[in-house]
Amino acid sequence: MTVRPGPGGSGFSRDATARGAGFFGCWLLLAGPGWSNPAAVPAVDVAVGLLAAAAATWASVHLLPPTPGRVRLGALGRLLLRFLWQSIVGGSDVARRAFAPRLSLQPGYLVYPVRTPPGPRRALFGALTSLVPGTLPVGSEPQAGAGCALVYHCLDLRQPVADGLAKDEALMIQGCGEDATDV
Amino acid sequence: MSEFLLIAALCVLGTVALGLVVILRGPTEADRLSAAQLLGTGGVAALLLLGVATDTTGVADLALVLALLAAFAAVAFITPFGTNGGRADPVAQPDRPQDPE
Amino acid sequence: MTIALTLFTIITVALGVVFFLAGTVGLLRFPDTLTRLHALTKADNLGLGLVVLGLLPQVAWPFGGLKLIAVWLLALLAGATVGPLLGHAAWTQERGREPPP
Repeated sequence: MTVRPGPGGSGFSRDATARGAGFFGCWLLLAGPGWSNPAAVPAVDVAVGLLAAAAATWASVHLLPPTPGRVRLGALGRLLLRFLWQSIVGGSDVARRAFAPRLSLQPGYLVYPVRTPPGPRRALFGALTSLVPGTLPVGSEPQAGAGCALVYHCLDLRQPVADGLAKDEALMIQGCGEDATDV
Repeated sequence: MSEFLLIAALCVLGTVALGLVVILRGPTEADRLSAAQLLGTGGVAALLLLGVATDTTGVADLALVLALLAAFAAVAFITPFGTNGGRADPVAQPDRPQDPE
Repeated sequence: MTIALTLFTIITVALGVVFFLAGTVGLLRFPDTLTRLHALTKADNLGLGLVVLGLLPQVAWPFGGLKLIAVWLLALLAGATVGPLLGHAAWTQERGREPPP
C-alpha cells in the first residue's frame, strides 16, 4: 500500500488498510461477473485490481484523512436503521404532500445549534439529515456565543423538527465516537 | 415478468421526462439542476429495470456510471456558488451582498 | 415461492414508480425552489431504493445483487451530497433578495 505515515501511527495505517480492502472489494464487484471460473482468475487481473485499490486508497487518505475516534458498531447500526426508516418516512411524507389535492405546506427556516464541530462529521450529519422528513440543511451561521448553528429549511414548521434533529445528532455522536474523552 | 419491468422502466422515464418541463421553466438555476438530478436518478432506475428485463448484466455498470456522472455534474455546477462568495455565480445579481462564509 | 417473489417484485417496483411520479409532481407543484428540492431529495431516492429492492430477487447472486445495492448506495450518497449543496445555493440566492431569517 502506498500509504504515507501520518498522525495517529498504527491507527492510521489500520484505517488505510481497511479502506484499501473496501476499494478492492468494490473492484471485485465490478470485475467479478466477467470471470467464468472464479478459481482460475489470471494473476495479472488481480494485480491490476490491487493497483487500482492502492491508488484509490492513496487518494482517499489524502482527501479525507482518517480521524481518531472509535466507531461503535452497535450504535452505528442503530443510526443506519433509524435513517433508513426516516428516509422511508421522508419520502412518503413528500409523496403525500405532492399528491394531496390541496398543498399543505408551511415552509420556513429553523436555526439548529449544532454540537458537532465543523469537518467531515458535520458534513455527514448534514447529508444524513437531508434524508429526514421535512428538513434540508441549507447553510450555517455563527451563533451569539461560541459555536455555530446549521440553518435548515423545513417543509412544515408545524412538525417537531428540532427534537428529531437532536435525537439524530445524539445517535450519530454515539455511533462515531465523537466525544471519546468522556467514554 | 420482463414485460412488466419494461413497462415500469417506461413509466419511470415518462415521469422523469415530465420533470424536464422544470428545466425549461426554471425559474432559478437550482430548479433546473434539481430536474437534471431527477433525470439522473430516474435514468439509473430505468437502466436497472431494462438490464434485468433484457437479462443484460452490463447495463448495471452503465447505471453506476450514470449515477456517478449525475452527482459530479451537480457538484461541478454548484461549487462556484458556495466556495468563493458567489463570484462565479451564474445567477448572481449585481447588487447581491457577498456570502460571509 | 417463485410466485411470491414475482408478486414481491411487481408490488415493490410499482411502488417505486409511484415515488418517482411523486418526485416529479412535487417538482412541478411545490411553490418555491427549496420546497421543490425537498421533493427531489426524498422522493426519488426512495423510488430508486424500492426499484432496487424489487429487482433483488430477479438477479443472480452474489454479483448481480451486490452490484444493484452498490448502485443504490452510490445514488443515495450522491443525493444526500447534492441536496444540501443545492439547498445552500438556493438559500444564498434567496438571501441576496431579502433579509436573513
